[in-house]
Amino acid sequence: MAAPPPVAPHRRGLVPEQSSHAGGGAILSVRGVSKHFGALAAVDDLSFEVMPGEVLGIGGPNGAGKTTLFEVISGLSPATRGAILFDGRDITQASPEAICHAGIARTFQLNAGFDSMSLADNVRVAAYFGRAHRSWPGVKVGADTDAVVAEALAAVGLADRAHLLTGSVPVLDRKLAMLAGAIATKPKLLLLDEPVGGLNPKEIDHVMGVVRTIAARGITIILIEHIMRFLVELSTRVLIMHHGEKIYEGKPKGLVSDRTVIDVYLGEGASERLGALMAARERA
Amino acid sequence: MAGPLLAIETVTAGYRGNVVLRDLSLAVEEGTLAAIIGPNGHGKSTLLRAISGLVPLSRGTISLAGRRIDRLRPDEVVAAGVVHVPQGDLLFPEMTVVENLMMGAYLPAAAAQMPKRLDEVFALLPKLAERRHQIASTLSGGERRMTGIGRGLMADSRVLLLDEPSLGLAPILIDQIYEVVVRLKRSGRTILLVEENASRVADKADRIHLLDHGSFVWSGAGPELMARPEILATYLGG
Amino acid sequence: MDVLIQIVASGLTLGAMYAVSTIGLALVYGSLNMLNMANGALLALGGYVCYFVATTLGLPAPLAVLAAMLVCGLAGLLIYLTTALPMLRSGEFETRIFIATIGLGSVLENVIQKVFGPQPLPQPLKAPGDVVIGAVHVPNQNLLILATALLLMVLVAGLLQRTRIGRAIRATAQNREAAQLMGIRVGQVYAIVLALSGALAAISGIMISSLTSLSPTMGAEPMLKAFIICILAGLGNVHGAVASALLLGLIEAGAQYLLGVRWSFALLLLIVIAVLVWRPYGLFGRRQVVRL
Repeated sequence: MAAPPPVAPHRRGLVPEQSSHAGGGAILSVRGVSKHFGALAAVDDLSFEVMPGEVLGIGGPNGAGKTTLFEVISGLSPATRGAILFDGRDITQASPEAICHAGIARTFQLNAGFDSMSLADNVRVAAYFGRAHRSWPGVKVGADTDAVVAEALAAVGLADRAHLLTGSVPVLDRKLAMLAGAIATKPKLLLLDEPVGGLNPKEIDHVMGVVRTIAARGITIILIEHIMRFLVELSTRVLIMHHGEKIYEGKPKGLVSDRTVIDVYLGEGASERLGALMAARERA
Repeated sequence: MAGPLLAIETVTAGYRGNVVLRDLSLAVEEGTLAAIIGPNGHGKSTLLRAISGLVPLSRGTISLAGRRIDRLRPDEVVAAGVVHVPQGDLLFPEMTVVENLMMGAYLPAAAAQMPKRLDEVFALLPKLAERRHQIASTLSGGERRMTGIGRGLMADSRVLLLDEPSLGLAPILIDQIYEVVVRLKRSGRTILLVEENASRVADKADRIHLLDHGSFVWSGAGPELMARPEILATYLGG
Repeated sequence: MDVLIQIVASGLTLGAMYAVSTIGLALVYGSLNMLNMANGALLALGGYVCYFVATTLGLPAPLAVLAAMLVCGLAGLLIYLTTALPMLRSGEFETRIFIATIGLGSVLENVIQKVFGPQPLPQPLKAPGDVVIGAVHVPNQNLLILATALLLMVLVAGLLQRTRIGRAIRATAQNREAAQLMGIRVGQVYAIVLALSGALAAISGIMISSLTSLSPTMGAEPMLKAFIICILAGLGNVHGAVASALLLGLIEAGAQYLLGVRWSFALLLLIVIAVLVWRPYGLFGRRQVVRL
């Protein structure tokens, strides 16, 4: 497997870690981060760490601030307070492009894709612009980019359909293309925002398999999802947000016995079903 | 009243040359909850859009209480009592939550009941009450879903079409929404909904219809479906 | 000081006149995604009908204004029925309607020329006398124009915010399919919006010609300025259009004083270009950050 590309010299906004505290080897360190929109705190003094190779699942009621958290980490919407360290470097105020080139990739809740282009071309855009800073985009994409594209498409299972137009394919393929684009940027950390919403169980299984393959390559993953089966089976650790704060952090199985989580997020019915599901898997 | 409230007969429809619905027939009895399940991209949303008038039919008819509605404009279909809550929510982005809800009661009959309906929707979805003056384009995905559903409940509907009501909602909210749906059905409304997860509707729907490649391949009651796991496995897996 | 009063007085007047027809354009673009290039011709038509009713028929001024509004409103409706409605379903609507309305405008201007002749005609609707502020004589006509424009803007704002049809117009502009699913007859909304923009163009035309004079192509430059204002404000934004119109009127008056009428338009355009470089979505346009 190829090593990650070397750090380019001109990355704006990445401040080398100044303090002596090394962060304990965490690949992502979120420290006291708040995001305010006027008087509303969408993310409120949130702190957590993610170790390399982990899969952190984030859940929480609608409007809890989960997607906003992703926007803050990926640089689209900088934090109003607090600090975010990635691989030891301060990325709190860095631009989204710099953060992408540093090795964080992200997918979105809504099917974000260039409809008039093929699936392969969508991934090509990500592979070309997402891996390195291009001051002068060239006329041709280059063989190394093409190789990355082919590999990403194969990893998600789209190799045979890659020539189809994005606007004409079913929603599963669009989501897979978005995922392929994200991994084509050769990230160290992948942020997945509700990757399986709207998919049926067979399709969810497929995406779970793809995510497991990606995780197996050593890419750290943070995912947001409401489909509990997906969340608990993939995550090594789960964090539940509510009103911008953390109300639970721990193992997936602890979810069904945490009173607050059941009251504000799962509800009695879902927590019973989830408990039964997890118990069955454990026995299997 | 004899016959089903909503009758869809040998309907063929699609977009720009692609046929999506093929010779499809469906009957929904008044006061029942019918669920449509099936793989993505096979026509579930298209069917609802054909009923509400957003997609024209190339063949077949759709009737409400014996009266044909398939040639009507979408606004006329609404006036006839068919309310469609679409999957993409389609909120009015520059209006607030409460303004969006009020648009749901645009037609005169519903407008007269506006204050009462608003109270009911807010009681049902307290999160919306919290955010009532927030501009729709700044809401989170799940909050938009709630607003879309709430807006659909503001109108006077004989038939309510819900396209994936649980999409993007937290588990506790999904249970609450389905509680509402069942309550609505019990109070006499007719509901046709599209759902990705068959097990969620199995114990609530009066009839379930499995749509595959634009045609219904199976119809029956919930318990029947759960007793035949091979059907689900073939089309949906799990 | 006197110079400043003079500039502010003429600037606000200019701005007010532009604002009236800009509102119509902004409404049409907002709800239909249609750039109505026949707006300039409608402006001229309004001025001429007013002239005809007041001078040739000898009827009182208010009737003349009303007649102009009715005729232009009807013309707007006809544009919808004959041109926009058939094209709505087809692809590339925005481009085709743009070209079609250029053609319509041209035809209309030629008809006016055939009927009334190419020579400039005086607009009879003028309020006599003036008001003195400092050492500056501000013509009453200017004040009348400003007052009328403000009144119209308040009425249109009230229409959009407080009436049922106003909500229907706003809903259609924001999401057409959703509006249909609420039971709104969008065809009717389009017709009303086009008729309304015609009536507003008529008033704008009467105002402008009262300060200059009537000629068949008098609508071309004001329409261009109205478009520029719309773009400056952020396409489709009605409140922003009014504010930008007043701003532009002031800039134009200032530029006219400083550089002379010849250069004022060029300076105006340069300023607009600079603003758009700084804020591409327009001064009041929403940044299109789609929540993904």
